[in-house]
Amino acid sequence: MIHALNPAARAAGLRRGQTQADARAMVPHLIGQAADPAADARALTALAQWAERWSPSVSVDPSEEGLEGLFLDVTGAAHLFGGEAALAEQIRQRLAEAGIKARVAVAPTPGAAWALARWGEDEAGAAPIATQDDARDRLAPLPVEALRIADRTLAQARRFGLKRIGDLYPMPRAGLARRFRNDGGVDLVRRLDQALGHVGEALVPVRPPPRYRSWETWMEPVADLEGVETRLSGLAADLAAPLERDGQGARALTLTGFRSDGRTTSLSVRMGRPGRDASVWLRLFREAGLGKLELGFGLDALMLTADVVEPMAARQAALEREAEAKQAESLTALIDRLTARLGEARMLAPEALDSWLPERAERLRPALGRRIEAAPCEAVRRPILLLDPPEPIRDPLFDLPDGAPARFTWRRASRRVVRSEGPERVAPEWWRTARARTRDYYCLEDAEGGRYWVFREGLYGREYAGGPDERPPSWWMHGVLA
Amino acid sequence: MIMNPSPALSQDPFPQTPAPLEEACAPTPRDVAAAVAFALSRRRADDTRPVLVTAPRAWFVEYGRPYGPGMAGVPLILASAASLAEALWVMEQGLRSGAVALGLGAVEGATLAQTRRLDFAAKQGEAVGLILSRGLDGLSAARRRWRISTQASAVDPEDDRAPGRARLLAELTRGRGERPGAWMLEQDDETHRLRLADRLADFGSPSIAGTGAPSGLAA
Repeated sequence: MIHALNPAARAAGLRRGQTQADARAMVPHLIGQAADPAADARALTALAQWAERWSPSVSVDPSEEGLEGLFLDVTGAAHLFGGEAALAEQIRQRLAEAGIKARVAVAPTPGAAWALARWGEDEAGAAPIATQDDARDRLAPLPVEALRIADRTLAQARRFGLKRIGDLYPMPRAGLARRFRNDGGVDLVRRLDQALGHVGEALVPVRPPPRYRSWETWMEPVADLEGVETRLSGLAADLAAPLERDGQGARALTLTGFRSDGRTTSLSVRMGRPGRDASVWLRLFREAGLGKLELGFGLDALMLTADVVEPMAARQAALEREAEAKQAESLTALIDRLTARLGEARMLAPEALDSWLPERAERLRPALGRRIEAAPCEAVRRPILLLDPPEPIRDPLFDLPDGAPARFTWRRASRRVVRSEGPERVAPEWWRTARARTRDYYCLEDAEGGRYWVFREGLYGREYAGGPDERPPSWWMHGVLA
Repeated sequence: MIMNPSPALSQDPFPQTPAPLEEACAPTPRDVAAAVAFALSRRRADDTRPVLVTAPRAWFVEYGRPYGPGMAGVPLILASAASLAEALWVMEQGLRSGAVALGLGAVEGATLAQTRRLDFAAKQGEAVGLILSRGLDGLSAARRRWRISTQASAVDPEDDRAPGRARLLAELTRGRGERPGAWMLEQDDETHRLRLADRLADFGSPSIAGTGAPSGLAA
């Protein structure tokens, strides 16, 4: 089955949807390559991100395979590139440099642009540019398939003698819509209206266009980090200004580099509280490692976007609370910086939870954006260093089987217990696992002054009666006391 | 069963005021918890800023992770560093920021120049830097270098079979302008801070003597 074909194959009379056997019968020397639609879709999405250099709103054209493309909403952006013709030319040239042959058209509606890009190229090879006024005339000579209609509708239209889009203009709409089977006519009329701008068409961009972004393009690719860093400071200042104007601060930023080979490379940083200090951003990016950007043969555009934006609370701290507020601010800034470099998984802060199980009572969570608080005090002894998960204790010896051990082995060293305290009973959280058993915690002190927090999992008698299929109670080291 | 041979307890007052950078060495694994407790009590008592603990990931697995409920009233931030350079960088950033009270780092093999940077950063941020090490060899800019060893706990008069207040011996092996010495410290049950153990309280106590009391105890 043919998924896509080049101009030579099209000229030979082949079309999409033909089986390979049919095609080979017509063109014996046909060269075929296995289609990989998933890879195509991935490549197109990556290309869409790269195309964000020209427009913040880029969508992947959902057309059938073989006819895919990108829609760039360049409303109000073309003048930045020297007009629509210059923009179209620049897009084509950049893509050609990246090894991608592309057809580019600019039109007032997605439908018209789609048709012109695929069928509207003039003899000189310049990109077709349609304006609000001449879109209707420029579409008229194009074949009906340029309207993005289903193959069956297309075949019927041909049978009716409707070959060009212009042939549809004089037809009464209601009649046209009724003339086709299976709602094909309705679809045809809708596509025509979309192309002419009578009805709107919503496009879904690959990434929601950020409200705040700053970008810069230049002629010579920048291949060194110093160059990127220099330009980043300019971008940061550009981005901070509109945020300042709107009273907003950024919680997350992404720096996207556009490579000359058609790929993008990006680096993100997050902050615990909204901010708009360009120098802080620079520092965060430096700590996150600008070296992680893959520059390839160089970047020719750089974009900085504020991905998460929050209003900056007006700070009117009372005088006595000012020192406290300032300290909290410097702590947040510190955690932001350390997290940028180490990553969220390695910068942690404890979070107190409502659980009887010691290892669940305090959980480690990323410190970023978290209030750093002291754990609630416990009336009973708790270890200063917690082993999580607990480690098994070997060969416990007892004076009494359900009491504290008199001797035990942990980490291959045998320890003689000289003093002990306990038990402190912790009931199982039976709603979590059916097999959970009661824990009895003991504080043990050995002859060398080491103090350990151990527990026996399982009770003699109630939870273990000595049956052959039962697990005998076991001993665990859970932490070390000061 | 003999405990670490320890020098005679010093008659000098315990240097309670922390220096910008100090070093505490835990010679054996069982001393690490005591060294952490010692480190925490080097903070100024009224300092509510958090404590930043920096260690290689393996350290947290080997010795356990600092556990909030066991240290009473200490806001904690834990950083697991991938290398010595990264650990030193985290400590330096933390100390300099002025946002933390104590920067506790389990780092081995820092150079003199690197520890100087920490000392300077701690002064800038009005914080206390504390290097937790396994041995005291190597040069260091730390103003005080301690050797911490865990000791038999104080005797609880109501229950002499249970561990009493935790005790440790803090030996000052080098101090700038200070005489080296050793002090017996014990943990206050309420505040979890260390204080100088009352040398006479356990005088002649059979249970301590029986487990091999440090020689200086009766001094």
